[in-house]
Amino acid sequence: MRILAFLFQLLPILMVGVVLHYVLPQHDIVRVVNTYQERQDLNDWTRIFWSDPSPQSATLVNRDVQFIQTVRKKTFLLGFIQRDTTEVMVYRNEDTGWGWPFYFKFDTASLQTEADDLRSTPENPKWALITHYGWRNGYFSAFPNAIAIRPVSSPDETVIPWFNIVFFVIVIFLIGMVRAMWFQFRERMIDPAMDAAGDRMDIAQARMDARRSRMRRWFDSWKPKDRR
Amino acid sequence: MIAFLKLIFFGLVGLSIVYLSLSVFSASLRRERLEKEYDADPVPGQTRDDYVETGMAAYRTSMRPKLLLLVYVVPVAIWGGIVYVINTN
Repeated sequence: MRILAFLFQLLPILMVGVVLHYVLPQHDIVRVVNTYQERQDLNDWTRIFWSDPSPQSATLVNRDVQFIQTVRKKTFLLGFIQRDTTEVMVYRNEDTGWGWPFYFKFDTASLQTEADDLRSTPENPKWALITHYGWRNGYFSAFPNAIAIRPVSSPDETVIPWFNIVFFVIVIFLIGMVRAMWFQFRERMIDPAMDAAGDRMDIAQARMDARRSRMRRWFDSWKPKDRR
Repeated sequence: MIAFLKLIFFGLVGLSIVYLSLSVFSASLRRERLEKEYDADPVPGQTRDDYVETGMAAYRTSMRPKLLLLVYVVPVAIWGGIVYVINTN
């Protein structure tokens, strides 16, 4: 039972973690194989895995989406530990516009051109670093969205996730700030108000007691002396 | 365009909430410090309230409340930086 309660408390943290894992940028070392463009149906719940490049696109039932097909280096632990094996990965390439998630990406066409420029064969590979967010899921036809691509000299390039580091530092700072503000608010506003209310309660209570004891004395005056 | 205006509007609303709460927080910290200063070392010929009010008047004309306007400047600058970096090759 205690375990269940603990897991239940963990749930909000888990949900925030899942959203952050979807939304924050991640880096992959890839070799671009090909790019293509395909009509996508967007009228069921898997719509949440596609972007809203502009407000008018929100109502479209289907539209063309650009894709980047790659072979990428597999990794462990959110990309921190590289492995020698590779796997195929297909990225979508869509504008995010001014909306969620806040990448403000408008250069889809340029990114597609850059990806085309980096195409290479297994015999003569050109490795590139692709920044993306989102998940690949074959069952739901979900693709991560490519944000940027740049060539790298070797497939073992170490990548430092500067954006994520700064992001989490800012988040921790903001949590500390909100905590300090809440404590100050409680100390200066809520506690004095509660004290004042408590004082008034005490005064009322004392008055009630005094009145009761007067009543009691009066009642007692009617009783015979030995039963007072 | 509508998405852009929506972002601007909700961004401004959010930043204004942050700015107002920070202003109240900062003023409250200063007031508490002034009160503690007076309690530790009362100024002869000046009541506690007078001491605190003079201190708060000095605070309002000081640099710190103006620095809080950076709440608007910094996020907008970061936002501009992100838009620029993402869309240049």
